[in-house]
Amino acid sequence: MAITVTFLSAFQDLTHGKKLFLVDEDRLSKILDGLEREVPGLKAKLFDKEGKIHPAYNVMLVRGDVLQLCLDLDCNVENGDELVIAPIISGG
Amino acid sequence: MYGYQGKILRVDLSLRKIEEEPVDEAFLKKYVGGVGFGVRWLYDLLQGGEDPFSPKAPLIFASGPLASIRFLGSTGISITGKSPLLGLIGDTDMRGRMGGSLKGCGYDALIIEGKSDSPVYLRITEGSFQILDGRELWGKDTRQTQEIILSDPQNRNGLVTSIGVAGEKLVKYANINCELQFFAGRTGAGAVMGSKNLKAIVLGGKQKTPVSDMEKVKELVKAISTKIQTDGTCDTLSKYGTWNTTGPANLNGILPTKNFQTTTFSEISKIDGDAMLNTIYAMKRTCPGCPIGCRRVVKGETPYSFSSEFGGPQYETVASMGSLLLNGNPYAIAKANELCNLYGIDTISTGVTIAFVMECFDRGVLTEKDLGFKLKWGDPEGIFRMIELISLREGPGDLLAEGVKRASQRIGKGSEQWALHVKGMEVPMHDPRGKKGMGLAYATSFKGADHESSMHDEAYQRENALPELGFTVPMARKQFEGKAALVKSLQEYWGVMSDAAPICKFPMIPPRPLKPGLVVELLNAVTGWNFTLEDFLTTGERIFNLARMFNVREEMNRKDDLLPLRFEETLKEGGSAGESYPRKELEKLLDEYYRLRGWNPEGVPTPETLKRLGLN
Repeated sequence: MAITVTFLSAFQDLTHGKKLFLVDEDRLSKILDGLEREVPGLKAKLFDKEGKIHPAYNVMLVRGDVLQLCLDLDCNVENGDELVIAPIISGG
Repeated sequence: MYGYQGKILRVDLSLRKIEEEPVDEAFLKKYVGGVGFGVRWLYDLLQGGEDPFSPKAPLIFASGPLASIRFLGSTGISITGKSPLLGLIGDTDMRGRMGGSLKGCGYDALIIEGKSDSPVYLRITEGSFQILDGRELWGKDTRQTQEIILSDPQNRNGLVTSIGVAGEKLVKYANINCELQFFAGRTGAGAVMGSKNLKAIVLGGKQKTPVSDMEKVKELVKAISTKIQTDGTCDTLSKYGTWNTTGPANLNGILPTKNFQTTTFSEISKIDGDAMLNTIYAMKRTCPGCPIGCRRVVKGETPYSFSSEFGGPQYETVASMGSLLLNGNPYAIAKANELCNLYGIDTISTGVTIAFVMECFDRGVLTEKDLGFKLKWGDPEGIFRMIELISLREGPGDLLAEGVKRASQRIGKGSEQWALHVKGMEVPMHDPRGKKGMGLAYATSFKGADHESSMHDEAYQRENALPELGFTVPMARKQFEGKAALVKSLQEYWGVMSDAAPICKFPMIPPRPLKPGLVVELLNAVTGWNFTLEDFLTTGERIFNLARMFNVREEMNRKDDLLPLRFEETLKEGGSAGESYPRKELEKLLDEYYRLRGWNPEGVPTPETLKRLGLN
C-alpha cells in the first residue's frame, strides 16, 4: 500500500512546511494515527471535541479523476490513492 | 435611540446645497441600515428608466447600527446606486472605517445627488460640511489623491474615500477606495461618483454613537472573539487570509481558469496559499476590532515592484489576475492588483474582461490590429497594458470599459458565448458547475453575478451546518436538490443582513462561531430592540424583495435570471469533472425558488408577498 497525504494550505506550522507524506495504511483512522507520529499535534487540530473530522477542514480522497469527501474516519483507501487535507472553502 | 445618530446628510452637488435630515426609529427598525437604507432610498428617489449617470440618480453611503461598536468589520459601509454596469440596482460593501467615521461626524448615512459643474470633494466633520474645489485632484491616481488631500492641514487625520482616474472616465466597473486599503469594487459605484464630478470624501469626526447595553455588548464581543481564537474554525483564514481558498478551489475544480474554459490550473503551486506566503507576503492587517486578520499586505521589487500601500490581492484577485488569465506569477498578480487600485477599477470585472479579450484572440475574433499589440495568455506585460487601456479608456479600452456584456454585443462573431457575466456584471471566481447553489445565487442576485450574495455550497456538506436556519442535512456541493431553499435563506441572512447590520461575512460562515442568534443578540444589545431571529430574517427578506422590485421596475424578470452559456458546457477534468449547469436544471431551480419566495412564475413578487413584508 502506498498512500500519499498532501497538506494543502493547512497545518504547515505542524509539518514544518512539509506538504507530502507517504503512508502505508488502508483506513483513514489508521492513516491519521500514523501521521500523528510524524506530525505531533495534528489530531488535536484536525479532530473536533467529539473525535470527528473538524468541520473547518476537509479530508478528500483523490482516486484518478474522482474526488470524494471523507465524511468519517472509516473512509477506505486503496493503493495509489491520494488524501488531501485542506480548509473548507468559505468564499473569497 | 441607540446605535444611530438619528440623522443623515443630503448633498445636492448641482445646487451646492447640504442639508441634515432626521430618520425616525420606525424606519430604522424596518430597514436596519447599510444596504437596507440604500435600497429603500434608491427606490424612492428614482422612478425607473433613469440613466445611472443622470444627476437625478443618487449615490448612497450608509452605515449600520453595529458601526457603533467597532467589531468584526462593523465600521464598514454599503454604497448603493443605480449600477451603470447592470442598469439595475447596484450595491457594494466596503469594510474599513468609513461607516464608523460617518457616524463619528454625526450621520448614519450620506446621500449624494446632482452633479457638480466642476470637480469637487467633500469635507465632513462634526458639525460642519463643505463642498470644496477638487480640480487639483482631477486626473490624479488614488495614491496622489490621498496624498494631496492629507497634505492640507485642514484635512489632517481625515479619512479619505476616493475614486481613481477610471471613475472619472466612467469605466463601468470603476471602484471606490477608502484609505487605499479597502475597496468597494463591484457594480461600478466609482463611475457613478465620477459622473457627479465628486473625486473624494474626507471624514473627520469622533463623536460617539449611543449604545443601549454596553455591558452586554462587551460580554458578547468577548465570547465571540474567544471562540474565533480558540475553536480552530478561523485558523487558516487568519494564517493565509483568503489565499486559503486558492488551492482547495483548484482541487475541487471550481477555480476559474482560462476564462472558465477549465477549473484547474497547471501552475497552481505557484499561486496557492503557501506560494503567496513564500513570495509576496509582507504582513497581515486587520479591520477595526477583528481578531481574525484576513487581510494580506504584500511587497515586492523584482521582477515587478509593488508597494504595501494597497494591501494585497485577495483570493478573488489571485484568481482573476492569475488562473483566469493563465498567469502563474504571484509578482505579476500583485502588480496587476496595484495597478487596478491605483486607477480605481474592480479586479474581478477587469480580469474577466481581459480573459474575454484573450479568448477573442485565440479564436481570431480580435487580432493584433484591433488591439495594437499581441495579447497572449499568461503574459504579465499584456495584462498590465490592458488594465491601463481600460482605465484610461484609450483605444480598444474604451469599449472594454463598458464591461464584457456590451463589448461582446458590439464585437459580435459569437463572442457573447464567452462573455462571462450575469445581467451585465462579470462572474466572480467561483465556477458554479462545481457548486450549484452559487449558480442559482448568481442568477437571482439583485446585482448580477456576486459571490457575496449567498454563502458557498462547501459549507453545507456536513451535518448540522446551520441548524438555526434549518440546515441540518448534508448537501453535496454538486447537487441541485435543496439549493433553492438554501440560497433563499442565505441571500437574506448572509447576503443582505450582514451588510445591513453591518458585520463581516467570514465569521458567519459555518462552522465559524458567529451564529445567527449571536448576530441578533448583538444587534439588540446595541439598539435596545427586541428583534427575534424571525424579525431579523424578515427584514432581510423585505430588503431583498424591495431590491427585486427596483429591478422589476426596470423591466427585469425571469428572462434575465440566467447564467452564461459557458456553464452549460461539461467540465472535462479536475475535481468537478463531468459537471455542467444545464439550462433546464436552472429553470427547475427557479420554479422552486420563485415559489419559496412568493413570486409569480415570471419572478415578480406577488401583491400578497409585498403586503406580508410591509412593502405594499
